Amino acid sequence: MKERSILALVIITLVMLAIGYLVAINVDVMPVAASSRALLVDDLARILFGLATVVFIIVQGALIYAVVRFRKRKGDNSDAIQYRGNNTLELIWTVIPAILVTFIGIYSFRVLSEIEVHSDDEMVVEVIGQQFIWQFRYPSYDVRTQELHLPVGQQVRFEITTLDVIHSFWVPAFRAKRDATPGQVSELVITPTELGSYPIRCAELCGVGHSVMNSLVTVESEEDFLKWIAEQSGVLPTPDLEETGSIPAETEIAAEPAQLVGSSIFGRYDCGVCHVLDDAGGFGHVGPTLEGIGETAAAREPAVDARAYLLKSITRPDAFVVAGYSAGSMPQNYEDRISSEELEVLVDYLLTQ
Amino acid sequence: MTNEEIMTAPIRWRRYFKWNTDHKVIGVQYLVTTFIFFLIGGVLAMMMRAELAQPGKDILDGAQYNAVMTNHGSVMIFLWIIPVFAGFANYFIPLMIGAEDMAFPNLNAASYFTFLLGGLVMMGSFFLGGANTGWTAYVPLSIIAPDGQTIWAVSLILVGTSSLMGAINFMTTIVTMRAPGMTFWRLPLFVWGMIATSLLVLLATPVLTTGLILVILDRVAGTVFFDANAGGDPILYQNIFWFYSHPAVYIMILPGMGIISEIFPVFSRKSIFGYRMIALSSLAISVLGLTVWAHHMFTSGLNPGMRVPFMITSMIIAVPTGVKMFSWLATIWDGKISFTTPMIFALGFISLFVIGGITGIFLAAIPFNIHVHDTYFIVAHLHFVLFGGSVSAIYAGVYYWFPKITGRMYNETLGKIHFGMNFVGTLLTYLPMFLAGMLGMPRRVADYAPEFTELNLLATLGGILLAFSTIPFLYNVIVSLAKGELAGSNPWRGLTLEWQTSSPPPEHNFESSPLVTSGPYDYGSAEGAQELLELAPAAGD
Repeated sequence: MKERSILALVIITLVMLAIGYLVAINVDVMPVAASSRALLVDDLARILFGLATVVFIIVQGALIYAVVRFRKRKGDNSDAIQYRGNNTLELIWTVIPAILVTFIGIYSFRVLSEIEVHSDDEMVVEVIGQQFIWQFRYPSYDVRTQELHLPVGQQVRFEITTLDVIHSFWVPAFRAKRDATPGQVSELVITPTELGSYPIRCAELCGVGHSVMNSLVTVESEEDFLKWIAEQSGVLPTPDLEETGSIPAETEIAAEPAQLVGSSIFGRYDCGVCHVLDDAGGFGHVGPTLEGIGETAAAREPAVDARAYLLKSITRPDAFVVAGYSAGSMPQNYEDRISSEELEVLVDYLLTQ
Repeated sequence: MTNEEIMTAPIRWRRYFKWNTDHKVIGVQYLVTTFIFFLIGGVLAMMMRAELAQPGKDILDGAQYNAVMTNHGSVMIFLWIIPVFAGFANYFIPLMIGAEDMAFPNLNAASYFTFLLGGLVMMGSFFLGGANTGWTAYVPLSIIAPDGQTIWAVSLILVGTSSLMGAINFMTTIVTMRAPGMTFWRLPLFVWGMIATSLLVLLATPVLTTGLILVILDRVAGTVFFDANAGGDPILYQNIFWFYSHPAVYIMILPGMGIISEIFPVFSRKSIFGYRMIALSSLAISVLGLTVWAHHMFTSGLNPGMRVPFMITSMIIAVPTGVKMFSWLATIWDGKISFTTPMIFALGFISLFVIGGITGIFLAAIPFNIHVHDTYFIVAHLHFVLFGGSVSAIYAGVYYWFPKITGRMYNETLGKIHFGMNFVGTLLTYLPMFLAGMLGMPRRVADYAPEFTELNLLATLGGILLAFSTIPFLYNVIVSLAKGELAGSNPWRGLTLEWQTSSPPPEHNFESSPLVTSGPYDYGSAEGAQELLELAPAAGD
């Protein structure tokens, strides 16, 4: 009898190890892995899933076995055989879980140390969160954008800050996340490894537009990246320079028709993330729609004309709050960010809508 | 007075609506009020699931969604799970330890009415824009939120104060009012669970109150405790908040574990396995529970060097939890199990809670945590702990003690239908959320990328099942209250003291003060079982 139960124990242990191993190598619950860090985190996840499956099967298995095997027979009202404890058994189920969590702890610590190693040739990208957009600044190129491009294989150090409340910069494909906390510069290190475009999402509740605070990161070859950087800084990339033989002048704002500039300012400051306006690609529902705003603006406040209403609504968003929307949802810092010329053009444009 | 006489006497309804110092009346006040709040929290949950069934803006805008989400969490935590256990504890601690009432009956009534006031104030906050920052109310978002946020913070202070009054009362009662022979090692495990819980409440709740007062001052008095631009510190708030709110998870699960420990021996006809280990593991969880809070802050502005110690404590806390799980399994092993509704809810508790427990270890592993923190993975994990765990235990407790509180039996068939819907609904609602979180869906969003549609639709369907599962429960309670079979004093042939008096118990609980000569789960021993057989005829299944 005793030999048989030892044999059964050995067989169960081997089967469990096999199941745990099979789960660990086959589990596929993570999104595409696009950074060196993602691979390490995914390996940890595999081990966690393998161990979890074993524990899960042992507990649920014992539960189901007991429920089936130890049913009370009809008419039997006597008590069961009593045993109040078993020191060996209790020691086993204290020590084995303790060993398992120690192993997981040490392994996690090693992964953690590895994914957060800095290197000398890091590229710094500043990530600036604000309700409800992300901005990215490349200090070495003096470029500021609203989409993120990264050269493949280049280690990047994100320096994450916020202009208002707490946000959390999360790229699921990189398995990387860090909060943007007021008064702090938080760091996050990753090395992108796979070409492609991946979502950036805000993971910390930041207000009414939290769910639209998304962006995109594009991982591309170094040439493509440099070309993109050059386009952002208004200077054409070097190959074009050689063809034309001269550096083209920066595009003059005044040279374009007012209509187009208005809509591009609308785009530049991400107004469309929160306001619907088809003409300028606005799609968001965080704030009121701006379709036909030229007419509605005049009617909103009896004492304020349309132009003053719009100006004030941009610079002091809580001065007038449209019914059904809440104060505090719109960034309060447009007055500092938009130049007065741009503001004039933007309001002119909105009045024509 | 016999059971027949008690049941034919008119139910004195009015005392439930008044200041009453009988711990049994206060217990019922708590149980009924908290269940109403549970239904309100459930309606809020269904509004969210309706919005999230499909991507895009459907029924709630961003501000409304955030208010609904914040209050769903606050109602479920502060007005349902924490106080419903105060209801059980009020009703059963004096009965279980052989006391006439609680140590401070007036403080007890004050605690209920403070809670009720807090609950109504929280409901009132909706009319001032509602709190819309999540129940975590992180600064600075909670500083710039609408006026409802202040009212909401006031309501939490009231509810926390009520919780403190309860904890003082429970501790004093347990320490000073035990019947002769009721030594600490003869206390039922639910009472041990309430000792561990009350210690946590006493140590941690004042810290949350402090944090909320500072938030209110920042909001209304222009102070800058948490304003980074003026020398304040938003991370300080997170430390204060989680110093209470992680222990709050144990405040919400330890009494439930106590209920489970009561139910398994009775329906297995077997002594609890490892009584002292279960009792001590509750204390271990409560002490360790005070040291793990910063695992909620692995991605925050916390200094990275501070993460590893909290990973270690968070890993260690799995060990006493495992001890409980295995001890319960050993309790039903070789038992004579009868599948009453409380028993299947208790078995369901093990099955669902283990999922929440295991994923807790995932979350302690910092590199994995960094990926899934603030995603639907967390939402799934916490609901397996608090819904699969705590709420299963609460339902188990309600069915287990329904005969004692009301004097009547509930309907087993309806109870089993309720269990089936609740169990399947829980799995269907929360399992898809694990996957959504790992694949990239953040929590607390009113809208999501189309790739998550199927998973969210499944969760919404599960939510609908959970909503409907309350119908057989409510129907069962109402019908059984009126015409259920008479229960007798001890329908389950239990050994703990609450079963050694009539159902419902008389005003001072026992006809004569009980003398305790054996442990609460001494099944199979001559004195225990024999004595009981004389006291009460066994009820059929």
